[in-house]
Amino acid sequence: MRFDGFLSMLEYWAGRAPEAPALRFARGDAIETMSRAALAGRVRARADALRASDAACIGILCDGSAENVVEIFAAAQAGLQAVMLDAGASDALLAEQIAAADADRLWGDPELVEALSPALRRQPIARTGDILFFTSGTTHAAQAVALTQASLCASAWNGGALLPLSEADTLLCLLPLNHVFGFVCGLLWGLSCGACVALGRGMRHYADDCAFFRPTALPAVTMLLAFLVRAGALNGELRLVLIGAGACPRPLIDQVKATGVRVSFGYGLTETSSGVALSLGDDPYAMTVCPEDAVTLAEDGEILVSAPTCVMRGYYKAPEATAAALQGGLLHTGDLGRLDDQGRLFVTGRKKEILVLRDGTKIFLPEYEARLAAALPGRDFAVIDRDGEPVLAIRGEPAERAEITAAIEPATRDLPRGQRPAGILFLDGPLPRTATGKIKRWEIQQKAVEA
Amino acid sequence: MTRSEILEASKEIIYESVPELEGQPLDESTVINTDTGIDSMGFTLIMCRLEARFDTKIPDRQWQKLNTLGDVVSAFEKRMA
Repeated sequence: MRFDGFLSMLEYWAGRAPEAPALRFARGDAIETMSRAALAGRVRARADALRASDAACIGILCDGSAENVVEIFAAAQAGLQAVMLDAGASDALLAEQIAAADADRLWGDPELVEALSPALRRQPIARTGDILFFTSGTTHAAQAVALTQASLCASAWNGGALLPLSEADTLLCLLPLNHVFGFVCGLLWGLSCGACVALGRGMRHYADDCAFFRPTALPAVTMLLAFLVRAGALNGELRLVLIGAGACPRPLIDQVKATGVRVSFGYGLTETSSGVALSLGDDPYAMTVCPEDAVTLAEDGEILVSAPTCVMRGYYKAPEATAAALQGGLLHTGDLGRLDDQGRLFVTGRKKEILVLRDGTKIFLPEYEARLAAALPGRDFAVIDRDGEPVLAIRGEPAERAEITAAIEPATRDLPRGQRPAGILFLDGPLPRTATGKIKRWEIQQKAVEA
Repeated sequence: MTRSEILEASKEIIYESVPELEGQPLDESTVINTDTGIDSMGFTLIMCRLEARFDTKIPDRQWQKLNTLGDVVSAFEKRMA
């Protein structure tokens, strides 16, 4: 079914079978269920309360709980601007994002809410009804992408049209809701198809949540899937794994398929409210473009997306960045690709200097290198991609490892763990550059592979 | 437990969890990401095992701040005091 808002989606399914399960979550060692009618009712009641409040923009410190789901849906239904925040991020980053999004109220762990309150805006902005997700973006460093209920629901419909779930399915959501892939594919995809969504118990339970909730469908980023496979954690009822938010190596996909589980690979961006194309056949890298979207290629091979119903309203308070990314109604993705004779999309690389990590997050390399440059004055270095992890490549001797590690540690310790350098590659000569001085990252990456 | 006992137990769990590190010296100054290449999922697994070993929970938000092995040892030492 196709919906243009969260509450209409919940009410549609509640109308068909009010007591059917919408959400499952843990309460102690037991599984609790929230019915479709209960979820719709709680969203409606909370939306009424928010509408009557003087809040205009609410920062939601996402913890993946059922209350968290209610708050997101209710904020949107009340017409507030909602900004999705990672409750596990550093206080400094959260304060920066709260201020950048003009949040005047916070939802989440009371202790954290109190600690972050000084960052709140005193004079509320006008309510926009937008939902802001932070991303590294295609053109710039971290910024907020303004999406809507309608764009997110359209994206969920896109996914469900190609990969339908049934009311008998249980979709396990282990991904953070502040990440658009987690929100759309870990939550909306299931709810829009009438499936039950099981809310994971957090990082301590990654290895045993599949056994606990017995899902039939699972969205995952590469790093999480690799972890689950290594731990032998995939349950027997699982029939579909959807991999997204970055590249995934073939051996890992093959390992999952060998257990009889269907594996689909998705390509999308925060700017398109998640998925643009999904693989449906045997080749996980041959992706069928979603029905609401159209993909063309620029002369240089850049993937251009037309997604009228799913595309962002823009980068929040960044009209220039929005204009650069959205030209003539086409989103310039910064990714390179090709289309085969059946119109299937293959992603072949990155045009812009963004590194997509194994945990599905991105880093904007010029900004990242500027952070390291302050700690490594006068040194010739670059950051390269090694299997989805950032590695510092530097001209120098391995004997300097301890000194360099100590130098960069203060500059990187506030970054999310997956974004900190995963290693150091020492080069005995100057870093290879083009005639215009740009670093030849590919050449250095080859050296990393050989090393 | 003394600080050095926590350190030794932590090293043991890291070596068990990441056998490829066997033979690589680990001490309090070891930066977990850069020196060992342990990714965030690997770190999660190690922290879960350490919490089970020490029967002590470190609040989730504090995990993000643990950069060196010394930071990890300090976190458990403080909670177990």
